[in-house]
Amino acid sequence: MGAPMRAAVRAEFLKFFTTRLWWGMAIAVFVAGAAFAVLFAILFTSDSLAGSAGGPGGLPTGDALQIANSVYTGGLSVGYLLLLSIGVLQIGSEYRHKTITSTFLSVPRRVRAMVAKVIALLGIAAAYGVLSLVASVSVGALVLNLRGAEAFPSAEILRTLALSLLVLGLWALIGLGLGILIPNQVAALMIGVGVAWIIEPLAGLAIKASEFGRESIAPLMPSEATAAVINTVLASPDDVRLSWWAGALALAGWATLVAVPGIWRTVRQDIT
Amino acid sequence: MPTGSRIEITSLTKRFGSFVAVDDLSFAVDPGRITGFLGPNGAGKTTTLRMLLGLVHPTSGTATIAGQNYRDLPDPLRGVGAALEATNFHPGRSGRDHLRVLAAAAGIGDSRVDELLELTGIPAFANRRAGNYSMGMRQRLALAAALLGDPQVLILDEPANGLDPEGIRWLRGFLRHLSGEQGKTILISSHLLAEVEQTVDDVIIIANGVLVRQGTMAELRAGGGAIVRTSDPRALVGALAERHIAGTVEADDVGEMVLAESTNLRAVGEIAHAAGLPVWELSTKAADLEELFLDLTGGTNRNLGEGAA
Repeated sequence: MGAPMRAAVRAEFLKFFTTRLWWGMAIAVFVAGAAFAVLFAILFTSDSLAGSAGGPGGLPTGDALQIANSVYTGGLSVGYLLLLSIGVLQIGSEYRHKTITSTFLSVPRRVRAMVAKVIALLGIAAAYGVLSLVASVSVGALVLNLRGAEAFPSAEILRTLALSLLVLGLWALIGLGLGILIPNQVAALMIGVGVAWIIEPLAGLAIKASEFGRESIAPLMPSEATAAVINTVLASPDDVRLSWWAGALALAGWATLVAVPGIWRTVRQDIT
Repeated sequence: MPTGSRIEITSLTKRFGSFVAVDDLSFAVDPGRITGFLGPNGAGKTTTLRMLLGLVHPTSGTATIAGQNYRDLPDPLRGVGAALEATNFHPGRSGRDHLRVLAAAAGIGDSRVDELLELTGIPAFANRRAGNYSMGMRQRLALAAALLGDPQVLILDEPANGLDPEGIRWLRGFLRHLSGEQGKTILISSHLLAEVEQTVDDVIIIANGVLVRQGTMAELRAGGGAIVRTSDPRALVGALAERHIAGTVEADDVGEMVLAESTNLRAVGEIAHAAGLPVWELSTKAADLEELFLDLTGGTNRNLGEGAA
């Protein structure tokens, strides 16, 4: 990274940490990480699930590794929505408050300015990811131990923890793209969170109604791909799941699909 | 960037759909002078400045600073300081942090930020959220942002807007210092001639995206022509007409006088002398700047026209 790019990235980090958004988000990420870890650690070690391979009564199913993964990454279900919001706000507030003018005056090479935003966003996502994991692993491991379950069944957990940072980064990039493509910041936030949280999972259920949809389309959906990357428990034993790297590629594909047109538009448009 | 960076606008045109915001505009802005870029609201001033700063893509033509596009400047904030709109601050970020963000992008240290807060007179407000700033504070903050890199060229859009009379006076002195002693190129836009007439050396006036007048402030002021009082005004009008200078006889409370459409007092005096007419008074008629400005730009305001229709 050359000096101008480093300076541009530094400015982006400074932008993020000089408004009150960051610590509000930090508290939310930390609390979500801890709360979901406790919830999942209790839920997944309850008698009806423990040692069962078949998932009776429609309960989520998984082995010790998947249970630990789910506990430690439970906060991600909220965390990726928060990072999606941060992505929307990072660019949305620049348009809303017209600070995009001074951004492009200080870094007139717009591709550089936007790449700096992407790099900063990935860094911010990683930092929040670490914060979330500190909460979820410390609290989750404690509860799993108390319940007599294995807190660290295999080293593969480390891969999951590392990949959860990547997942957050990719969701932040989806937010960045949405923040550009939907010019109204509030609309972008509501549409982004609404789709990711409610509509997309419902659409996933609808797609699973057909054999082809269940096997070929549903696994590629953003939320399913996210679950594949961090290898959590399965919602249903019939679900088809991608391997972690294919899930990562699928999620990266979604991020590219939204962020690249958004960035391209910002680079081209008149800033009036 | 070398000392004395010149701004050059050449055949600059911008269309938004079928609307021509800026139409084949050409002018230059010289270093060491303060140039006023004037025109009514909606005349195309801001669009022109935004094209100069690489924010808006011209439909055709070029706008360069020291021969380069803004986008190609190796170190933009050290070459050009711009304050476009005094409202472009994140309301939740303090004034000081706003400057720190810009400084970071240009690799400028925080000590320079504090220096400028001091210089523009806002240190007491620097750590408050910018959302609470008055218009005058925003203008000072915008000016501080423009000066961060100690640039050779300053481009300020409506810098006096919202300043109180004392603030305008302070701004005038400050800009005079920057142009006179530091030889900077300063371009300031305004929709009010009166607001900047004591500040600027040169003027560029546009209306409806087209250049209508360019020259020095002195030329604009002298635009009223010459006043001559003599024993036989009608004879002088005749003598002037032979030398292709139009003149009219008018009267005020002193008596009759000739208004000659020339600012060349020497030529007018010599014509009177050659005609054997005694010259009792020979002076430049100061132009009514407000009237002149309205003449040049008024009546054709497309925005007002649309609103009235």
